[in-house]
Amino acid sequence: MSRVRDRTEDFKESVRVAALGHGYTESQLAALMSSFIIRKPAPKLPFTNAAIKTLESVRELEKFIVKHRKDYVDLHRTTEQERDNIEHEVGVFVKACKEQIDILKNRIHEEKSGSAKTWLGTSDESSRLDLIAHQHGVVLILSERLHSVTAQFDRLRTMRFQDAINRAMPRKRIQKKRETKAAEPSKPNLVLKSDVSKVEDQEVSTAPLRVQEQLLDDETRALQVELINLLDAVQETETKMIEMSALNHLMSTHVLQQAQQIQYLYDQAVEATNNVERGNKELSQAIQRNSSSRTFLLLFFFVLTFSVLFLDWYSK
Amino acid sequence: MALTLRKKQLDLIVRMLHLNQPQGSPDGFGGGGGDGEEEEAYKILVMDNPCIALLAPVIRVGDLRKHGVTLHLNIDKARQQVPDAPAVYLVRPTPANADRIAADAAAGLYASFHVNFSTSVPRPVLDRLATAVAASRCAHRVARVADQYLDFVCLEEGLFSLAQPRAYVALNDPAAAEADITALVDAISLGLFCVVATLGTVPLIRCARGGPAEMVAAALDARLRDHLIAKPNLFTEAAATTVASFQRPVLCLFDRNFELSVGIQHDWSYRPLVHDVLGLKLNKLKLPENYDLDDSDPFWVANSWLQFPKVAEEIEAQLAKYKQDVDEVNQRTGGGRDGVEFDGTDLIGNTRHLMNAVNSLPELTERKKMIDKHTNIATALLGHIKERSLDGYCECENGMLVDGTLDRTKLMNLLRGNGTKEDKLRLAVTYLLSFETPLPSDLEQVEAALRESEVDMSAFLYVKRIKSLNSQFAGASSTASKGQFVDWAEKLYGHSLVAVTAGVRNLLSDGKQLAITRTVEALMEGKPNPEVDNYLLFDPRAPKSGTGGQFRGPFREAIVFMIGGGNYIEYRSLMELAQRSQITKQVIYGATEILNGVEFIQQLSELGQKAGLGGVSSSLPPQ
Repeated sequence: MSRVRDRTEDFKESVRVAALGHGYTESQLAALMSSFIIRKPAPKLPFTNAAIKTLESVRELEKFIVKHRKDYVDLHRTTEQERDNIEHEVGVFVKACKEQIDILKNRIHEEKSGSAKTWLGTSDESSRLDLIAHQHGVVLILSERLHSVTAQFDRLRTMRFQDAINRAMPRKRIQKKRETKAAEPSKPNLVLKSDVSKVEDQEVSTAPLRVQEQLLDDETRALQVELINLLDAVQETETKMIEMSALNHLMSTHVLQQAQQIQYLYDQAVEATNNVERGNKELSQAIQRNSSSRTFLLLFFFVLTFSVLFLDWYSK
Repeated sequence: MALTLRKKQLDLIVRMLHLNQPQGSPDGFGGGGGDGEEEEAYKILVMDNPCIALLAPVIRVGDLRKHGVTLHLNIDKARQQVPDAPAVYLVRPTPANADRIAADAAAGLYASFHVNFSTSVPRPVLDRLATAVAASRCAHRVARVADQYLDFVCLEEGLFSLAQPRAYVALNDPAAAEADITALVDAISLGLFCVVATLGTVPLIRCARGGPAEMVAAALDARLRDHLIAKPNLFTEAAATTVASFQRPVLCLFDRNFELSVGIQHDWSYRPLVHDVLGLKLNKLKLPENYDLDDSDPFWVANSWLQFPKVAEEIEAQLAKYKQDVDEVNQRTGGGRDGVEFDGTDLIGNTRHLMNAVNSLPELTERKKMIDKHTNIATALLGHIKERSLDGYCECENGMLVDGTLDRTKLMNLLRGNGTKEDKLRLAVTYLLSFETPLPSDLEQVEAALRESEVDMSAFLYVKRIKSLNSQFAGASSTASKGQFVDWAEKLYGHSLVAVTAGVRNLLSDGKQLAITRTVEALMEGKPNPEVDNYLLFDPRAPKSGTGGQFRGPFREAIVFMIGGGNYIEYRSLMELAQRSQITKQVIYGATEILNGVEFIQQLSELGQKAGLGGVSSSLPPQ
């Protein structure tokens, strides 16, 4: 598409012809033509350089996440420890990027307030309106990119939580099955015991040993049941903790969003009050001037009338 | 090859925004470019007013930011310096724009200038830009000049408009100069060329004989032929990127006079009502609150073609469902707290419900906003309908057009009752158009009623005159000798008459379907059909001299273009045509502008006044 729709060649031709018409010298012409081919990138403001660097770091973060995505999600490739590591690194990176973005944002505000303080403030500010808007746009683009990257990572994290919960759930079910199985064999044991005890009535001599054995067996079984119950409780607590951390995370993202919105609203409100104050001052000044000018005007006419009368009387 | 006009336009625009650097990384973030991509990551977009209108339905401000555009500015407003950002200009190729770009370059407002013109820039304008830029010695700032061939507004996937207002008036103006008409025809053919170039296919052009359709078709054919001589051209590239298909679409050109009644009809479906009564422009509605009505609104997409009472029912149903969902969410999270048991499953279920609830909150708020929006729109519509008794108008017009019956008392009541002057005028003109020979007594009654209500009669008299000119040749009006009749009318009175007659007769013969739909269907099927057999065929790819292989169909894809003023009613019937055939067909509909009934009747009134048929004091509201 670009070859057909591109009219740059035609444009260059026209420029060359026009330049000859305007009396460029040969060297200037050569410089003009070469400048079309080799483009010198314009020097950039430090703000823009910083913004470009931040964009690069966000891109790096993205690449990092993509690279480790398989490791992170797949259950069997990495241990929990490694996953925690990855999470930690990503968190640190995200924080660093966010700090850079905040620095950029503060720099805009500084420049804005700095320029307003000079006594030519108003004219200067209007000439920088577009620049400031552009810089705000840059910061917004960066934060949106960062947001989308973190959302991507959040999705991976929720997948991990889901897996963890699912792993905990079947274990519980298996525990339950084992529990019921443990309950069942104890029942037939009891039945057996009663049978055995009936049979044992005939074998009185071996009774004390058997009773001891049975006591031991009972104890072990009771211990087993207790341990199984404990294990169950621990599993439950683990899943609860996981759920709670997921919920926490969810809540915190929402609260953070709210906090940002509230902060923004607050700033707007503060600005609005400032504007209203300034407006009030201007109004009071205007009223003063109005009243003072009125008195001056009255005095002026008064004096004029008298001078006219005086001149009239004088000329007579 | 699928006709995906909007997607292709969007692709071109995105390409332009990325400064035509090769993109593409699979995760769709647009990264992966070299240093060039990152150096020019933050751009400023400068457009003029027509191009802002062009861009608005296709891409949103948030999406612009995704492609790295920080600001979008109007070229006519005062702008300040942003010294280190590249600027992308998208403007129409007028001399004024060229001067402004040169002034910006001289003032050094931006670091580099990528100039894109929405259509092909003519050589004089390019030279003007070059001279200005060379004189101020800032030519090195201009990085690129390109023609984008994007000059059409794509309102939906299958609907486009050329945004050329009042084309109908200019074409039918009896006092129009030859040069004006040629200029207008050229402009229309340029717009169509942009559409065709964006789609990347060379269509076969079919149009009726005589009239603006033939002129536009000839102009477009000439333009395409010239363009195809140069290789490589826009169409070879498109063919290279997609699989070469042997199916070419058919471009059907129609003139508004072909079927006047559709332009002024009152319709009872949601979308035409909103367009007509509330004034929908570029998919944006402005009750005291700006609403967006486009593909992102699922209720609109699903229900916009329903009749109005059904739409109200649908809104009710959606509201009930929303309330049910909200109650469910509240119950699960709030109610469950009463019986707090630390039973494992219950707690986990509870927290899961909580998570789902929190996740679904934004979705629920969106739904509520949408329901509120449509409720407001429906309420406003209802207010207007009651005030103007629009249901009566719809019924009466439908009766006249479809069934051919005339309920005199009802007609008179409506003409004397509520309703704005435009409504009454529209009803009267529809009455005129639906009956070939109305009884003179009826006609007098209708006119008297109109004069009573102080309605501006120019449009009515204009249509009447056209009809009467037709009926003078009614002697030879049997269908068999239609050819002769066509020749006479053409020789003596030019284009508008033939078409009106044909349209009227078509309406009478099969009232249910719109004439345009039937014609398009016939053209697409390609079977011999007396209606369309004498339509002209232009094939830009065929050699001029040869007559070999005039392919007349069947076609699977069609582009239908209406010169003079399109309408949502026509759009709907063409969509239905595409859906109801067994083989999948695709139809795209376009017009020089999308008019609602009120605007069209105003144009007719204007024509009537220009023809000297001025009626009572002009009641045209200021535009």
